[in-house]
Amino acid sequence: MIFSSVFFVYVFLPIVLLAYFLVPRKFKNLVILIASLIFYAWGEPIYVVLMVFSIVYNYITGIEIEYHRSEGQKRRARTVFWIAVAVNLSVLGFFKYYGFLLQNLNRILPVDIPYRALPLPIGISFYTFQTLSYVIDVYKGNVAVQKNLIYFGTYISMFPQLIAGPIVRYADVEQQLANRRESFSKIGNGIAWFLRGVGKKVLLANNIGMAYDAIAALPNQDVSVLTAWIGCAAYTFQIYFDFSGYSDMAIGLGKMFGFDFIKNFDYPYTSSSITEFWRRWHMSLGTWFREYVYIPLGGNRVSKGKNIRNIFVVWMLTGLWHGAAWNFIFWGLYYGVLLFLEKYLLKDVLERLPGFVKHIYTMVFVMLGWVFFFSPSMGSAFRYIGRMFGIGAHGLVDATAVYYLYNYILLFVVLILCSVPYTYRKFTRFMLQKKSYCGIAVALYVVMFVLSTAYLVNATYNPFLYFRF
Amino acid sequence: MKSLMKYIGVIKYILILFLLAFIVSLLSSGEISDADIKDVSKQVVKAYGAKGLSAADNRMVKRLYGINANDYEGVTLYVSDSNMKVEELLIVKLKDVSQSEAVEAAIEGRLDKQLESFEGYGVEQSKLLKDHVLDVKGNYVLYVVDKKAKKADKAFQKSL
Repeated sequence: MIFSSVFFVYVFLPIVLLAYFLVPRKFKNLVILIASLIFYAWGEPIYVVLMVFSIVYNYITGIEIEYHRSEGQKRRARTVFWIAVAVNLSVLGFFKYYGFLLQNLNRILPVDIPYRALPLPIGISFYTFQTLSYVIDVYKGNVAVQKNLIYFGTYISMFPQLIAGPIVRYADVEQQLANRRESFSKIGNGIAWFLRGVGKKVLLANNIGMAYDAIAALPNQDVSVLTAWIGCAAYTFQIYFDFSGYSDMAIGLGKMFGFDFIKNFDYPYTSSSITEFWRRWHMSLGTWFREYVYIPLGGNRVSKGKNIRNIFVVWMLTGLWHGAAWNFIFWGLYYGVLLFLEKYLLKDVLERLPGFVKHIYTMVFVMLGWVFFFSPSMGSAFRYIGRMFGIGAHGLVDATAVYYLYNYILLFVVLILCSVPYTYRKFTRFMLQKKSYCGIAVALYVVMFVLSTAYLVNATYNPFLYFRF
Repeated sequence: MKSLMKYIGVIKYILILFLLAFIVSLLSSGEISDADIKDVSKQVVKAYGAKGLSAADNRMVKRLYGINANDYEGVTLYVSDSNMKVEELLIVKLKDVSQSEAVEAAIEGRLDKQLESFEGYGVEQSKLLKDHVLDVKGNYVLYVVDKKAKKADKAFQKSL
């Protein structure tokens, strides 16, 4: 089930909200847990077993670690902790990387090991990182163990952010699981977040996605330099509005149930450096890797050599987290190299450059990075980049490029406007000017919702791009 | 508490054993096929003839079904040379089974459009469209519009 579907918006969500607000407080988490398991089982009836395993196993592990710590048995606590890390990573590794590993072994070694790659359980990368954050924080003593299985199950499986994040650390919602207050203003705020997310996904991402799909389906010999750049720009906007739209919907749904999740995006395409881009893009993943990998490895407080190692370890893992394919690993290392260069070589040069040059530099490298993301293989990624710079392209500009530019120029303008904080800030300021203007804002949200519904009714199934991770 | 911890240890082992059994059952379920899409297509075409059909490229897949062939492990499409014929064969090998929903929706969209086009005057075409076969088997999807659609489906199932 996806958020941007008529069934979710008009049937599932209203029923769950109704049940949630009708039951006494002590049953509210149970309602979320049951709804989350139904939500997950809707598309993955088999893999709900994995989810239940993850909940029960990590719940027990937390209690065990806490017991050994309180008894002063540090070694036993450490053993239980490392076994839990190994089990969680093995489950993720098996479902996500087993096929990739055997495929490469068969290629490299003179063997032909038969294998059957299983379909990826949706959201496994997200909820495994959540369970790990809990186990690590309990082991370190940063959070108290959760003794209520329903509360713990709610944290792991919470449907608003189950499938594509944000990756909520246990420490961030520990208090909210037990004590949170719903209010009309919070619900209203949540609805606004949700509607903005729906609009981003249905009206912006899906429409510009059509341009990308059409260009991606063109035969290679028909792609000019300009067409290749238009296709890449279309994907650049599609992935941003698709993923940030999902995150906004998740944050909004969370608010409706009284939760406050951290934001996942902060206008990443306004960044003036790659370092800044990664502070603004998929912030919950960046925070996770910083807290649980980069800092434990020593972070910045180590020798230059070790710091460079830390940067590359984190970025290789970031790439690998996104998918079991060489282009994702390359994509991660590509950012590792760029961040290393910015930190150790280009820092002074970048600071001296005018703002717009820094912005162009960032966007060009971000767009080139997305080519590795959307290409099915490394070879096809390099061929696409080649066409962006004239190698193997159908000239600089051709009729196809003009056609796409002419048809999508207005949408590109809207996308640019929605990618900068200025537009939303202006809208909020306008809303607050007079009380009557609030009515206009509400009307605008309603129009956006009606338009999105109209699109959803006529659209085919259109899942979020980040579902594949 | 100490005795409770003993039970917890046992429960954890049971859980891990249960997980292993679950994985083994998934691997042996046989739902996922390693068969090459080229071989599957060849056998299906051979079995029912695919008369009057010719292979179409990815652009045609996009135009008729609205799906991007690069998103899948492989796509084979055979279409009729004439606009007045509705015979068609589509085989899709999915990258993972969660993609089947999108492919089924795309096929239903195409079918609805075709039914709409021939409604009222193309009695024979409408009947063929209504008798279509849409078969989802693990990571493979088959869609055939033809008099011999059932024969094609049999060959499809056998080839996986």
